[in-house]
Amino acid sequence: MKLTRRNFLAWAGLSAVGAVACDVIQDEELSLQSPASLPEDLVKGRDNWYATLGGQATDGEGVIVRVMEGRAKKIQGNPKYPVNQGKQSVRSESGLQALYHPDRISGPLLRTGPRGSGQYRAIQWEPDALDIFRRELRARSQGMVLITEPLRGTLGMIAERFATSVGGSHLGFEALDDTTYRAAVKGVFDQDRLPDFDIGNANYVISFGADFLSTWKGSTRLSTAYGDFRQGSKRQTQGSRGYLVHVDPRFSLTAANADEWLPIRPGMEGYLALSLAYVIISEGMQAEGVDVDALTNGQGAAALAAFAPEQIAGQLGIPEQLHEGKSGAEKIRDLASNFAHHGPSIALGGDNAGAHTNGQFNLMAIYVLNYLTGSVGSNGGMRFSPGSPLGNLADAAKIGSAQDWAGVAGDIRSGRTRLVLVHDANPVHGLPASMAFESALNRDDVFIVSFSSFMDETTALADLILPDRVFLEGWGDDVPEPGPGYEVIGMQQPVVNPLSDLDPRSFGDILLSMAQEMGQEGALPWTSVEEAMKSGVEALYNTGRGTSSHAASADDLWNLMLRQGGWWDEDATGPAPTAPSGILNTIAAQGREPGYAGSGDFYLLPFAHNTLLDGRLAHIPWMQGVPDPVTTVTWQTWVELNSSTASQMGLREGDIVSVSTDAGSISGVLYPNPALPPNVVAVPLGQGRKVGSDYATSGDARESSNALDLLSASHLTESGALAWAGHRASVSGTGESMKIAKFEGIFPARQIGHTAGEAVIIVTNH
Amino acid sequence: MVTSRIDHKWGMVVDLDRCNGCQACVVACQVENNLPINDKNSFLQNRAYEWIRIERYWEGDYPNIKARFIPVMCQHCENAPCEPVCPVFATYRNDEGLNVQIYNRCVGTRYCINNCPYQVRFFNYWHPNWPERLQNQLNPDVTVRTRGITEKCTFCIQRLRRGQIQVERRNGGELNDGTLKAGNHMPACVQACPTNALVFGDQNDVHSPVKPYFEDVNKYNIHHEKERKTRGYRVLEEMNTKPNVIYLKKVDPNLGDGHHG
Repeated sequence: MKLTRRNFLAWAGLSAVGAVACDVIQDEELSLQSPASLPEDLVKGRDNWYATLGGQATDGEGVIVRVMEGRAKKIQGNPKYPVNQGKQSVRSESGLQALYHPDRISGPLLRTGPRGSGQYRAIQWEPDALDIFRRELRARSQGMVLITEPLRGTLGMIAERFATSVGGSHLGFEALDDTTYRAAVKGVFDQDRLPDFDIGNANYVISFGADFLSTWKGSTRLSTAYGDFRQGSKRQTQGSRGYLVHVDPRFSLTAANADEWLPIRPGMEGYLALSLAYVIISEGMQAEGVDVDALTNGQGAAALAAFAPEQIAGQLGIPEQLHEGKSGAEKIRDLASNFAHHGPSIALGGDNAGAHTNGQFNLMAIYVLNYLTGSVGSNGGMRFSPGSPLGNLADAAKIGSAQDWAGVAGDIRSGRTRLVLVHDANPVHGLPASMAFESALNRDDVFIVSFSSFMDETTALADLILPDRVFLEGWGDDVPEPGPGYEVIGMQQPVVNPLSDLDPRSFGDILLSMAQEMGQEGALPWTSVEEAMKSGVEALYNTGRGTSSHAASADDLWNLMLRQGGWWDEDATGPAPTAPSGILNTIAAQGREPGYAGSGDFYLLPFAHNTLLDGRLAHIPWMQGVPDPVTTVTWQTWVELNSSTASQMGLREGDIVSVSTDAGSISGVLYPNPALPPNVVAVPLGQGRKVGSDYATSGDARESSNALDLLSASHLTESGALAWAGHRASVSGTGESMKIAKFEGIFPARQIGHTAGEAVIIVTNH
Repeated sequence: MVTSRIDHKWGMVVDLDRCNGCQACVVACQVENNLPINDKNSFLQNRAYEWIRIERYWEGDYPNIKARFIPVMCQHCENAPCEPVCPVFATYRNDEGLNVQIYNRCVGTRYCINNCPYQVRFFNYWHPNWPERLQNQLNPDVTVRTRGITEKCTFCIQRLRRGQIQVERRNGGELNDGTLKAGNHMPACVQACPTNALVFGDQNDVHSPVKPYFEDVNKYNIHHEKERKTRGYRVLEEMNTKPNVIYLKKVDPNLGDGHHG
C-alpha cells in the first residue's frame, strides 16, 4: 500500500489503540465520484468497526463500535454475539456519551477540603497518586472493602482475588439487587447462575412482576424473543401467536404489551402461582412424565390445599371486571388450564414480585410451575447456561444485599474497615437514606479511594480519586448472565484511546500492580488485565472446542475473538436441573402473606427507570431525554397515580405531590396514569442525584427525587434484600404545580387518531 | 468505474404486533443522525423532536385498559403533501422512493411542516448545541442542521449511499437484504430494533421481506381493504399520500368481532 498521509494516520490510529477490527463490516476507504458534490459526499476517512462489549448499561450485550479518525461514532449490537444477535437496548448507545462526556474526571484528584466539600486538587499519577494509594493500602488493607458495580469475567476475578489477598472483601453493588431472585433459583433449581427463557418458541408465558421488556435481566435478548413470540416465522405458518399474561400491581411496559394484565395485591404473586400449581395437579394437567409424587412427597394436590383457588381468590385483589363474568376461583382455574394446555409455556418472575418480605417464597412458587409443565431445559421453556469454561473467571456477579451493606456500614463505624475502595458504584445514592450509609463513610478514620470516571454522591466523599478508563477505552471480558444456553465469553477491547485532555488509568491494572507490590503474585500473577485475558485465551485454545477449533494458534484465537467479539461453543450446553424431591411441600411451608412497612392509603411501588435504571445513567443526556415508554415523561421524577384517584383527590397533571412513608418523604410531578390500580402509587428511580454532572442534578428538589429514600432499611426479604415493593405510602398535594416535561401531546394524535387508531391498529386474531 | 444502475425503491414495514415500545430505535436514530439533545426545556416548550418517535395510545378504562404503541417516522410518501408547497424545491421525491430534504436549499418557510399530515418534519428553532467534547461523537456522514431549517427522517440515506458505493459501485454486487445487513447499511432504527418490528428493504427486489406486504396493500386499496391477505395498512390511507411505510396491525386475541378492522 502506498504510504499517503491518510493511510499513515489511519494506521497510526489503529496501532496506537491496539484494537483489531471486527470482520462484520468490510472497511473500505470512501471516495465518491458523484457529479453533484454534496457536503456529505466529501467525507473522507477510514471507518472501522470494532467488536467489544456494551458495558455496564447493557447487561452483557456484545456491540460493534464505529470508529472514524480515532473517534467512536456509533454503538450497535454485534450480529455475531450470541446473547443479543445484533440487537440493542435503549441504553446501549449511552456508552458514547460516557466516553465523550464533558463532566468526566480528567485525572487523579486529592481531597483538600473537608470530606464531601468537593474540594480537590489535581495530582500526578506518579509518583503522587499511586504513592498515596500504596501507602494507605499497606496501612489499612486489613478489613478493607472493595465496592464495585456487578462484575463478571476477568475483572470480577481480579477484584475478588485482590480484595481477599490483601485481607479485605469485595462486594458488588446494585440498588435493586438480585439476591432474592438468586436465592429462589438456587432453591428451586439448585443452580448458581440465572436462567434464560426461550420465549421465542413458547406459546404461553405468565410473567409475574418481571419487566422483561424494559429493565429486567437480559431484556434485549428477551425482547428479540418476544418479537418471535408474537410474529416469528414459525407463527405465521402455524398461526400460533404467543399469549402473554402479566401479573403485576404496576402497569409496566411488559404489562402494556401483555394480552392479559392482571393487577394483583403486591406480594400475593406466590399465592397465585401455588394456586395454579394446585389446579394443575388436582386436575392432572401436568405435562407427561412429570412425577407429581416426587414433587409433593406423595401428597399430590393435598400438599397445596391451602392454596386452592377457592381459598385464596378473595385475597389476591384482582379486579372483578377481569374475571370475565366468572368467580375469582374460576378465573384462576381457567388461567391454570390455559397455562398447562397451551404449551410450551413458561412461568417467570422477578422485580417487584420478589421484593417483599415473602419475596423468595413468591419467586420459588412461580418458578416451580415450570417443572409441572415440563418447561425446564426444554424447547420453548427455560434453560440454564453453563458457567465459564475457564474456572477462574467470575461467571456470576457477586452482589450484596441490604443486609450485607448494613454489615459493611457497621464495619466502617466500628473501625474494623478503615479503607473503602469504590469503582463505578454509588451506594450513597442507591441505598435508602434510612440506612445512613453516607454517615458511615463520612468519618475521619476511614480512607476512601474512588475509581469512578464521574463525580457522584459516593465519589464526592473520597479522599483520593483515581479515574478509570471507560469501557470503550479498556480491556475486559464477560461471561454473560443470563447466557444464551451455551458457553460464551465476550471480549472487550479498547476501541479508542482516551482524549488527550483526559488521563484515566485502568482500574484492573492498578489493582494488579498493587497486588504485586504487596507480594500477592500467587493470586494475581499478571501485570495487566490484557495479560490476564491472554493467559485465559491460551487455556481456551487448549480446549480445542467451539471458536478454538477455528484457530491455528492461541494468538490466532485471540485475534479471532477480538474480531467476532468473543468465544463460544454451541455444543457446550447447560445443565438441565431436576426437581428436588418434595419441592412443592418445601415452598408451601414457606408460604406467608407479605408484610407492608408503614401505613398510608397506597401501596408504594418504586421501579427501575427505563433508561436511567437506578440512577447510574442519570448523567447521560440521551438517557434523560428519552421518553418513558408508558408515561412519556423525561428529565423529571414523576409520581403515578390512577387518573380517577387523582381527580378524586383534586390533583391534576403537573401538581407537585409529596409521597411519604415511615422512612421518608419525597416530592415529584404528578402523572395521572389511567392504567394504574387505584390503590397504588408508582415512582421511578433514577433521578434525585445531588452530586455530579449537571445533566444528573439540574432538576430542583420538587421534580427530582430519589424514591429509594422512601424505603425502610430494615424491611427485608427472606434473603436479606430490601423488600422495596412492600411499603405503604401516603400521597398529598403540595399546592404547587409545574409543567411536566413529557413527550405526549407534543405531536397531536390526529394523524393516527381514532378513525384510524382503534379500527386500524387492532384486529382480532384471524 | 461505471456500472449499470440498479433500480431501488426503498420501503419499510412496521409490525405493530412485534413492537413493544422500548424506544431503542429512537436513541439509535438520534445517535446516527446527529439530532440535538432534547433537553428539559425543549419538552416544556413542546419543541422536542425525534425523527422516529413512539406514540402511545390508551384504550379502554382501568382495569380493562391497553396501551398501544406505534413508531412514527417520515412515511416517504409517493404523493407527498410536503413537496409541492416548498417554494424553493428543498424537498423532493428521489428516484429510489425516498422523500429527500436538501438542507442547504431550505429557507425555513415551514410550509412543509404545516402540510405534513404525519407531523414528522421538524423545524430547528435553535442552533443545535453540544458541549465541545460530545461533538467528537457526531457522525461525519450527516450534516448538522443549523437554526432555521427543516429536517426529517431520511431512511438513513447516508448508510444507503455507503452501501451503494461499497457494494454496487466497488464490488459490482447488489444492495439487497443480505448485503444491507452484512455491510451495516440498514437504517439505524431497523438495525437496533430488538423485537425486529422494523423491516426495511427494496420493493423492487423479489426476495425482499417487505415486498409481499407492499404488493398486498397496493393490490387492494383502501376500498378493498378487507380483501388484503396480510395485516398491512397505511396510516391515513384515505388521504392517498401513498406512503412507502406499511404498518402491520396489532393482533389482539381478546377483542370481539365488533372491533374488527
